[in-house]
Amino acid sequence: MIKLFIDGAAVEVPEGTTVFKAAEQAGIELPHFCFHPAFAPEGSCRLCLIQIEGSPKLELGCSTVVREGMKVVTQSPAVREARRGVLEFLLAEHPLDCPICDKAGECKLQDYSRDYGLTESAFREFKEKRDKKVAIGEKLLLDRERCIQCTRCVRFLAAITKSHELGVFERGVHAEIGILEGGPVRNGYSGNLVDLCPVGAITDTDFRFKTRPWFLSRGESVCPHCGRGCNIYVDYQPGFPRVPGSAKVFRIRPRTNEAVNGPWICDAGRYGYVRAQNEGRSDRPFWNKDGAKTGLAWDTAMAVLGDKLRALADAGRADRVAVAATSWLTNEELFLLKKIFRDDFGAGRIVMCDPPPGEWDDFLRRPDRTPNARGARELGFDPAPPTLEALARGTEVLILFGPHIAERFAADELRAALRGIAVKVLVTPHFTGLEGLMDGVLASATPAEKDGSFTNFEGRVQPFAAAARPCPDVRSELAILAALAGSLGLRPDYYGRLTTAAAVRRELAKDIPFFGGAA
Amino acid sequence: MTKAPQVLTEFFWLEQLHRIEAYVARGGYAALKKALAEMTAEQVHDEVKKAALRGRGGAGFPAGVKWGFIPKGTDKPKYLCVNADEGEPGTFKDKYILSHDPHLLIEGIVLASYAVGIHSAYVYIRGEYETIARRLEQAIDEARGAGFLGRNILGSGFDLEIVVHRGAGAYICGEETALLESLEGKRGNPRLKPPFPAVVGLFQCPTVINNVETLANVPGIIRNGAGWFLELGLPKDGGTRIFGVSGAVAKPGIYELPSGTSLREIIFTHAGGMKDGRKLKAVIPGGMSSPILKADEIDVRMDVDSVAAAGSMLGSGGIIVIADGTPILQVLRKVAEFYAHESCGQCTPCRLGTSWIRKTVERMAAGRGQAGDVDALIRLAANIQGRTLCPLGDAAAMPVTAIARKFRAELEGGLATAGARP
Repeated sequence: MIKLFIDGAAVEVPEGTTVFKAAEQAGIELPHFCFHPAFAPEGSCRLCLIQIEGSPKLELGCSTVVREGMKVVTQSPAVREARRGVLEFLLAEHPLDCPICDKAGECKLQDYSRDYGLTESAFREFKEKRDKKVAIGEKLLLDRERCIQCTRCVRFLAAITKSHELGVFERGVHAEIGILEGGPVRNGYSGNLVDLCPVGAITDTDFRFKTRPWFLSRGESVCPHCGRGCNIYVDYQPGFPRVPGSAKVFRIRPRTNEAVNGPWICDAGRYGYVRAQNEGRSDRPFWNKDGAKTGLAWDTAMAVLGDKLRALADAGRADRVAVAATSWLTNEELFLLKKIFRDDFGAGRIVMCDPPPGEWDDFLRRPDRTPNARGARELGFDPAPPTLEALARGTEVLILFGPHIAERFAADELRAALRGIAVKVLVTPHFTGLEGLMDGVLASATPAEKDGSFTNFEGRVQPFAAAARPCPDVRSELAILAALAGSLGLRPDYYGRLTTAAAVRRELAKDIPFFGGAA
Repeated sequence: MTKAPQVLTEFFWLEQLHRIEAYVARGGYAALKKALAEMTAEQVHDEVKKAALRGRGGAGFPAGVKWGFIPKGTDKPKYLCVNADEGEPGTFKDKYILSHDPHLLIEGIVLASYAVGIHSAYVYIRGEYETIARRLEQAIDEARGAGFLGRNILGSGFDLEIVVHRGAGAYICGEETALLESLEGKRGNPRLKPPFPAVVGLFQCPTVINNVETLANVPGIIRNGAGWFLELGLPKDGGTRIFGVSGAVAKPGIYELPSGTSLREIIFTHAGGMKDGRKLKAVIPGGMSSPILKADEIDVRMDVDSVAAAGSMLGSGGIIVIADGTPILQVLRKVAEFYAHESCGQCTPCRLGTSWIRKTVERMAAGRGQAGDVDALIRLAANIQGRTLCPLGDAAAMPVTAIARKFRAELEGGLATAGARP
């Protein structure tokens, strides 16, 4: 271990640590643009300059390695003056179009300019005119006037995706980011460039001009779009009037977890999940009767379903009930589902009906399109999808979780198979057309709207809390299952306690050794 | 005036010196024969160290010390890169060595490689020197044919190949790490140091980078000994220097003189004094990046330490002589334009600072100067100097500061006149 002093405070760090990281440990964040922990120090923005006792020049925090007894000053007048100088240069050629810039409010240049008190410019010359809207990728627009040449985008494409779509062209003040031979950014991870860009140079057409960062609340969740379980931020506007009281999600961003996704997420998750949050949502429970949708209160819906199931059980035909689960459900929900329908109710068939595998790559994206296939397996579910014949034969009540069965079977086939089933209930957050074949539809929450945990493909159990609020007529599957246990009158002393994800997780940890560590 | 000893340019008058026969006839490759037959690599290295041979590229770092930074016992290949990307305005000395006496450089390369244990050398030559590059390649072929290059040189068991690589016109590629990037086929951007090239250089391997003139001095040192070399120059700055004198002098050209010769003597004795009887106004003593000296500041000895003590820099020894009647704003404009044009754009202060300075100077030159412009230039230069990724920032800032400080009255006088215009 190396002991050094940062602004007078002693810090101990392993050999080879940079001053930047040591300062971080001391609770000091050095201002920076080009530095990013995922890349080697670049040393080009010159903003993390610091003073080291005994050194004639200011040194870089990002690349200087600590030495025993080193005395670092991060806020001397000389340091502040140098940083002001750098910011003054950047602002001189910057368009200062913050009022119409998507990055305003979360822009590093804006933050630092305020920190260093740059309010007036001494620049009396003409600013360079540059392209303001260069399409550098499917959803990416580059504004060259805002660009500060930190080259994080170029280095991401060189070091992380290794696809090298962008490079620096020209030199001096004319240096600009451009597309290299081989075409624009299209590598499945392009959205990360928007997060990486410390200013508003790279913006996302999905987010551009839709809202302002200061209108957004930030929740933490886990991406449900594949088995990786990338940690994410869900940025939403509380109270967006799409449906009174619901939240509109504007963007999904990576939340750094070195063990799972590092600081990145894929485009499929990023853009797919925003769509999944906002589009095609089922927003209330209803009953299909003679081709007409009849809205139901939740209590009524649960009572009706409970009555139908109990009637079967009383007639000794509980085995005529089939339940098709999905690994979009959390560990807790799957556990509760299994407890209720297998152990206490005695349903005839409990199967998994996951979507077929999707595109994958050798970086983050996994072929399984659900977040909890591994959790389902650990809970004892058979991942093999059922045949329609097996699912429908003799079934009187079918409870389907998730709309994925429609991806497994052709519509006609499905319609024919389901025709014979007296009561068909779908629990889904999304309308995909399948709801037309159902008798009842229960609107459920997306993972971002609920508490729970997913087990990723490596077996890592990742608990999360609700990041955004669902609309009022939407319930989590956990709440639906708990209510069903109540209306079925199953062991009230047991199920009565299991109304929150945390409570179920404790029970799960007791019951299944694999989950023992997660409680 | 006593004839100064000339050791590099001594035989430049010989016709066909660039051919191996002429070079050998005048005693060429004798040092190499001596070194390979009688000296160990360490002895060659020690001799160069003792000779206090300071780099002729601009920074003036002792060459022997630089060679010593190469890690001992590394299992990686080691490389020598010869910096022949002579691009500093006012500098044209390497061009003469390369075109008149390429074998002198080749012999120096082989000796340096032998001393450090290098088997591949690259000459990074500026693209504009195309004819010279071809001449150098011809010389390399001749040397290989005569057994001075290639496998088992002169039966010693020592192997060396030299490759000539042409630059594409960027001044920044003369910066040693940008040179390495360019040589590797990448954009010529300087690298963040450390690691230094001696440890992580060309193709990530230990690398020595020396200027043409530096290496051209090595054969003499080996043939005649370090004592002889020190005698020629100064105890801490051995040998002679090739000064390139340009501008308003009667006889512009290259002058090989002992380190420490006074600037006044170079201009007024060797270069024949001022052209057409004009009056001296100022001198840029070591290539455009060196701070300007006023006419009364030229009693300075031209060695690394003395010029530094006078507040300027010996640099590449490119002396630019400016006569009365040349508006200093015109000089400033050339300086500002050049560095703004040649900044690679990688780091903030250099990219935006050089451009801001250029824009201000151009505005002044266009007659739209304002009060405070000269102070603004000094402040901008101060915000560049010492804060950039590579020395180009300093090179751009130093001359601006010096011109603005030393010629403030003239520059501000110009503003007043300009302001009076409609």
